[in-house]
Amino acid sequence: MALLTGWAAFFVAVATIGCIYGLLTLGLNVHYGYTGLLNFGHVAFFAAGAYASAIVTMPPPSTVTNASYVVWFDLPMPWGFPVSLAAAALVGGALALLIGLTSVRLGTHYLAIATFALAGVFSDVLVNEAWLTNGSFGMNSVPKPGQAALGPDAWQLAYLAFAVLSLLAVYLLVERVLEAPFGRLLKGVRESEAAAEMLGKNTTVVKLKSFVIGGMIAGFAGGVYAHYLGSVVTAQFVPHVTFTVWAAMLLGGAASNTGAVAGALLVVAFEESTRFITTAYNWVQGTLPDPLTGVLPALAGPLPDNPSFIPSMRFVVIGLLFVLVIRYRPEGLFGDPSEIEALGEEE
Amino acid sequence: MVLDNLLQTVVFGLIEGSVIAVGAVGLTLSYGVTRFINFAYGEFLTYGAYLTVFLAGGLFGLSVPLPAAAVLAIVVVGLLGVGVSRVFFEPISNRGALPLLITSIGVSFVLRNLLQGWVGVSARQLPIPLMRRTDYFGLVRLTDLELGVIVVSVVTMLAIHLLLQRTMLGKRMRATSGNRALAEVAGIDTTNVVRQTWFISAGAGAMAGILYAVLFSPFRPGVGFEYLIVVFAATLLGGIGRPYGAMLGAVFIGLAMNFGSTYLSANYTRAYAFIILVGVLLFKPEGIRGGEF
Repeated sequence: MALLTGWAAFFVAVATIGCIYGLLTLGLNVHYGYTGLLNFGHVAFFAAGAYASAIVTMPPPSTVTNASYVVWFDLPMPWGFPVSLAAAALVGGALALLIGLTSVRLGTHYLAIATFALAGVFSDVLVNEAWLTNGSFGMNSVPKPGQAALGPDAWQLAYLAFAVLSLLAVYLLVERVLEAPFGRLLKGVRESEAAAEMLGKNTTVVKLKSFVIGGMIAGFAGGVYAHYLGSVVTAQFVPHVTFTVWAAMLLGGAASNTGAVAGALLVVAFEESTRFITTAYNWVQGTLPDPLTGVLPALAGPLPDNPSFIPSMRFVVIGLLFVLVIRYRPEGLFGDPSEIEALGEEE
Repeated sequence: MVLDNLLQTVVFGLIEGSVIAVGAVGLTLSYGVTRFINFAYGEFLTYGAYLTVFLAGGLFGLSVPLPAAAVLAIVVVGLLGVGVSRVFFEPISNRGALPLLITSIGVSFVLRNLLQGWVGVSARQLPIPLMRRTDYFGLVRLTDLELGVIVVSVVTMLAIHLLLQRTMLGKRMRATSGNRALAEVAGIDTTNVVRQTWFISAGAGAMAGILYAVLFSPFRPGVGFEYLIVVFAATLLGGIGRPYGAMLGAVFIGLAMNFGSTYLSANYTRAYAFIILVGVLLFKPEGIRGGEF
């Protein structure tokens, strides 16, 4: 990151992460927005995809420090990349199928709890099965495709372009699928399972399909993420990810794919920009005229002086976002109020 | 030796089960009258444990003896529960369960991160001495604290039983849970009943948090949210909204977790709780549909 400095580097990084969260949100939107499935374990599919990509592309353990994994495929990079992303999507979908088979028949509340808990169990697996995942130390040599040829700066831009294109492709794909009869079937199940069954539809299978599609999108996002950061660590895949994606979806508007993407970009931009609060504070303090220099420290004085203060406040804002959107604007920024009405009715 | 180990595992399971039981009963009581699953419930556990530490540690000026600090913390968290309900949940209580459920996620984020922003992520623990386990009948070994946890939990369960069966409040709670509209028609001030239930529910959560802290210190601000899965498992196993089921479910989950850790692998404690739950959901889902008291 030598040439791409300051704001440009920050913008490129935020945009790339924003695209990855956009993918995640599109996936969740298939589950919740279009089918009404309360998936509180989305991070598991994301993690499954990221680990799948890492496992198929990591170099042999003998070349990596602190390696304890025993399964690796070391796919060569330019052509291994699409294979790795396909593997990510497949594994994400497979995990969704597995979790879906156990719990997709459950009513909304039970499904929320079951997915939340199964994601917790899955993260326990990632931490403990070091032979596969290298444990909490993580897989830190995931290749960044094309970085050697392009150099770090051009690679950042190229990867951003790739992420944008991926997001666009998935967006168009999801829009297409949801406008097809299958999309209406999903909404039909969302609005009245009994009515869908009356028409001879097997609602369990429909829900399972929806679950797998969303899981595949999240798995794909995991693959894009793994090759972007070059490292996959269990600490990245915490429940906060799930709920950040939820916040993005609610803010953008459930059952709106445009909203999903916009919400993801907004939430990621907000989360990343909070790291400049200290810089902004110092800048304001530096430009204030002398008589006012006491004002800011006096305001900030009572605030707790610990390093987790600002990161924590970021999540307080995310939490408030949930509360405020649900209470005052359930359709979010781009959603359709009548779709939300259909979502709220249950049992 | 084998028998010893087995008995000791049963005892550890019962100890943990009694912590879970207090939490699960609290959660299930509030579900009974509000009809949504409260993801912010774990924060009541966390706040209970932290408040007790702060009160006993003299953070608010005077240092209170530990048992008094615990009681005070339970009352304060109970009031917090009522406050949370009035600010966040009552205004949207007529909009169905889904908005309430999603709001509770937001509330849990707000509560947990406010605490974490204030006290940081470093681990805390209650000011209790390390204790030696006493031998009982040459079969099982327990510290006085562990024995105390079981006693407190059993007493709480009895108190909740008497509350539900013998007091007017308990009857109003059962009526509200059974059919809120009908209870309203019968002249019960259901809004008030819901608030009182929130107080009891949040207070029980705080107590569970304190008992957890007694057994498993040190803890961090994420403690309640992480333990929530276990509390959920017990609640669902017993049939959500059913206090007696929750007690039974808690004992079962406590035993499963400790047997799994002892005889299979200690890395998957939470997973054992959940495998059982998923098994129940798969093979007997009709048995766990919401119910009355």
